[in-house]
Formats: sequence, structure tokens, C-alpha cells
Amino acid sequence: MLRGAMAIWQRDMQVLRRSIISELVAVVAYPLTIYLAFGIGMQSYIGLVDGAPYALFIAPGLITMTAVSAAYNESVWSLWFHRRVQFTIESYRVTPVSVSEIVIAKIFTGFMHGLIKGCVVGMVIFAITPFRFPMEHLFQYLLFLIPGSALFSCAGIIGGTVMDKPETIGKVEAVLVMPLIFMSGLFFPLSSYPSSLLVWVRALPTTALFEGARRALVAGDLMPLPALQVVLSSVVAFAAAVFIFRYKMSE
Amino acid sequence: MHTVSIAIRALTKSYGALTALDSFDLEVEQGTIFGLLGPNGAGKTTLIRILTTLMRQSSGDAFIEGLDIQRYGCEIRSMIGVVSQENSLDRYLTARENLELHARLHGMEKQLYKRRIDELLELMGLAGRQKDFPDTFSGGMQRRLVIARALVHQPRVLFLDEPTTGLDPQSRRAVWEYVRSLAGSMTIFLTTHYLEEAEQLCDRIAIMDHGRLIALGSIQELKDRLSGATVYEIEFTGQGAAHYAALLASMPCVLDVTQVGHKVTVTLECWECLSEIVTALNGAPVRRISLQERTLEDVFISLTGQKVRE
Ligand SMILES: Nc1ncnc2c1ncn2[C@@H]1O[C@H](COP(=O)(O)OP(=O)(O)OP(=O)(O)O)[C@@H](O)[C@H]1O
Ligand SMILES: [Mg+2]
Repeated sequence: MLRGAMAIWQRDMQVLRRSIISELVAVVAYPLTIYLAFGIGMQSYIGLVDGAPYALFIAPGLITMTAVSAAYNESVWSLWFHRRVQFTIESYRVTPVSVSEIVIAKIFTGFMHGLIKGCVVGMVIFAITPFRFPMEHLFQYLLFLIPGSALFSCAGIIGGTVMDKPETIGKVEAVLVMPLIFMSGLFFPLSSYPSSLLVWVRALPTTALFEGARRALVAGDLMPLPALQVVLSSVVAFAAAVFIFRYKMSE
Repeated sequence: MHTVSIAIRALTKSYGALTALDSFDLEVEQGTIFGLLGPNGAGKTTLIRILTTLMRQSSGDAFIEGLDIQRYGCEIRSMIGVVSQENSLDRYLTARENLELHARLHGMEKQLYKRRIDELLELMGLAGRQKDFPDTFSGGMQRRLVIARALVHQPRVLFLDEPTTGLDPQSRRAVWEYVRSLAGSMTIFLTTHYLEEAEQLCDRIAIMDHGRLIALGSIQELKDRLSGATVYEIEFTGQGAAHYAALLASMPCVLDVTQVGHKVTVTLECWECLSEIVTALNGAPVRRISLQERTLEDVFISLTGQKVRE
């Protein structure tokens, strides 16, 4: 049944393979710059955060950020491009492949981009900085990273489906996606929020994702509630993405 | 035996207040080449998008090879080939990979599609460029690649939305020749703005405007419908043209006379009055009298008017 989805996903991976080096250079540059600027440059002014040196505090968040924003960006731009510029979605739609298969393939592609790019940034940070974590924590971390990448890929698919203009996509990223990532305790501990605000911030799946992922990687904690929150959000986002894409295509 | 390949009944499509297709009825016989003509915005692309299941109609029915387009979308898509008005090639895949992806989307086996793609690339004159990306191709080569893609899975019905727009005369002729060679084995439904293309290729033609069918038939039938009047062009030598134009205009069987330089164009009620004209012109310095053949363009303009569409 998913033969068509497989064919489209394989096409995406083939294209990724062709440009993997330039993609990775671009994707590693940003988190690494932040790491050097804040982790190294600001370290001595900041001191310990939650009992850890600042460079260690932000490292897991940078890996998570790379993964989810890569998933989001791939999905939103790819869907927009294939729908509005290249009309390739239309060329898929005149074959026996169903609309659901197309959107599932695209979600999976975004997810793979997130996972691959997150892993590569993780390895680079691991190789050139003193950031270390016990290998057995990786499993707990992936329990956050996998649904997290899926969540952001689905969000990207929804964005690429409903937004017709590239400038709108840029604006949404600036006012919605980046603030959500930065608000979720990437650069500071959540305890910095006033308690009245903290309730709301914690309700966001992005907060659960970043906070849970850091705790999993650094301390090996598996916090079931945040993990469940991320998984459930990604399931809801998946259903919404499939529904919205199908709706848009039937118009 | 004539079997219907495409049947359209009272098909209507509205975009908000605009009715792009207005209770459209049509039947296309299996194995024929059918041409749909109409000015910009007539609704040709809208009709093709509905028939190829890309868009849903507001009301009415349509059947492809007997299958209802609303209920059997997947079955229909597996037996149609579509060349859309815009080239929808994947510029991140090579020409060959574009065709391979399409074959895989149709669930074809590798050993089967490999050979088929070789054949098509050869036929379309693209074999030498198969490893190049389509954005390095000329417009004509891209169009040929899109047509090749629509044929990979050997469809039974082929939809072509302006297949030769932007092609040079050589490429256009090559496409015509190929389309003609396909006729019989599949039903071909094409839209075009080139009346010559319709004359060259199509067994039957429909002309539509404002979402409605306004004429349907073979080329000859459509030309014959263009009133019984016949038009002759008379060329004079020397200065007599104006004098004879006035003389002809006074004759009862002459409907219309126009004069440009030495040439006078007369529209006659019927061709039988030609002898009266010849008699009237006895002794005149006539160089040539020629019958003006009605073209499909005349039919088209007479049916859809002169005005440019916004
Ligand atoms: N998505 C849309 N939303 C609103 N109106 C549309 C849409 N698509 C087409 N139309 C309108 O429907 C009418 C028919 O358009 P269509 O594209 O079918 O014409 P066409 O005959 O293919 O024209 P052309 O020869 O220029 O390709 C036009 O008036 C057009 O403005
Ligand atoms: Mg059109």
C-alpha cells in the first residue's frame, strides 16, 4: 500500500545524498557558532547553570534545535516548492498514488533530515568540545528526539500546505517557530521564568521536548510525562498534517 | 464498433461566483484524437483537471473508460497519462530519473520500465541527454520529456494540455508525428491554441467558450457550418479595381465587397452566382480570381468573436 510513499521518499533521499556535504556544512555552522559565542565566550561570565558549566548546559539543546529546525525547514520549504514552484506534487497526483501516501512520504523525509542533521551536529559537538555524556543516555534522548523531529516535520508540512507565499513562510518562522524554540529553556533554565508564566511555558510541547531531551542526555532521566506530551503532540500533528494536506488537495 | 472512452454529462465547475465549466456535455470515442479549442480562460484546463481527478466538479458526471471519475480515481489514474499546461518536471532529478520515478509511482517493475524508458528517450530524441537535469534543457526538450513521462506506463487515455506551446516548428512537427503514431492504440484528448495543430491531428474538434461547448464535429463539418457564403478574391491589373468594386457591390447576389489596392474581395450568397460575376467582369483587366478557403481560424473567430480575453 505504501509503495508510492516509498518511491517519493526514495527520491527525496537520493536528492539529499547528492547534496549531503553542502547541506551538512550549512547545518553545522549555525549551532557551532552559537556554541562558540555563548558556550565558550560567555562561559566565564555565566558560571554554573543548574550545577553544570554553561557550555554543557546548552549543548543538548543545540543538538535538539538543529534536529527539529532541520525537520521543520525541510518539510515547509520542500512542500511549498513541490506544490507551488515545481508542480511535482501535481505530477504525483495523476498517478495511482494516494494523497495520504504523498504527505506521509514528505513527513518522513523531513523527519529523516532532522534526525540525520541532529546526529551530525551531535557528533561535531562531541568531537570538538569537552561536552560528554554516557552512551547509555542516548536511548532516552532518542525517545525525545524522534517524536520531536516528527512533530516539527508535521508542523512544517502543515505550513508548506497552507502558505502559498515564501515571505509568509519566513515570517511564520520568525514569529512562531524560533520563539517557541528559544522560549523552551534552550539557553536558560526554566526556573528563570516567573512562576505565573511557567505553567504556560510548560504546557508547550516544545518545552517538554527541549527540557526532557536535555535531562535525558545529561542525567539519563526519562521523564514520562514530558515524553508522553511530545509523543501525543506528534501524533496529533501527524493526523492534522494528513488531514490538512488532503483537504487542500481536494479543493 | 465505436466505444466511448470519455463521457462527460452536464459537468459544471464554479470557482466562487465564476462558472468555469457550465453544464458541459461531450463524448470521445476510443482510439481517436480529440481536440479542444477555446480562447484564454474558456475552461479547457479546468476540464482536463477534473477529468484527470486533480479537481472535483461542482456537479455533473464524467466517465473515463466507463469508470466514474469521482468513485474510481485510483483506477482511472493508473490508465491515464497527463501532460499538464505547466511542465512539472523535477529539476533535482535527471531526465532519466524523472521517468523512473514516474514508473515507480505506477508500480512498474524495474526490468520492464528500464526498457520502456530507453525506447521513449530514443524516440523523443533525448537519449543523449538522459543524465542531464531538465533545467539545462530548452523549452522544447522539457516538453518532450514531459510527454515521454506521460507515456512510460502505456496509458489508455492521454491528456495533453497545450502540448506544443513554445515549441519551434521542427519540434512541433516531431510531436505531431508521434501523437499521430499513437492514435488507435490510445485515446488522445488535447487542447491547443494552434488551429493548424487541430487540423493536422484531430479526428474531431470541440470549440468552447465561457465554460460552454459551442461547436462540435470534424474539421470539415465545422468549416461547412460557417454559413453557405463563399468568398472570392479578384485581382486586377491597372487602375480599374475601384470602378469594378462599385459595380460588383451593386449586384444583388453579392453580400459584401472590400477593396485593397488591386485586390477586391467579394462575398457571394452561393457559389452558383460566380457566373454572373464573371459575366459582369467581361472585358475587365482581371489577372486572377481565386476561391478563399475557409480555415478553422475563420470558424473559431466567427464563433468566439474578435475580442481579446482579459
Ligand atoms: N484556481 C482558480 N481559482 C479561481 N478561478 C480560476 C482558477 N483556475 C481557473 N480559474 C478561472 O476559470 C476560468 C477557466 O480557466 P482555465 O484555466 O480552465 O482556462 P483555459 O481555457 O485553460 O485558458 P488558457 O487557454 O489560458 O490556458 C478562467 O476564467 C480562470 O480565471
Ligand atoms: Mg489552460
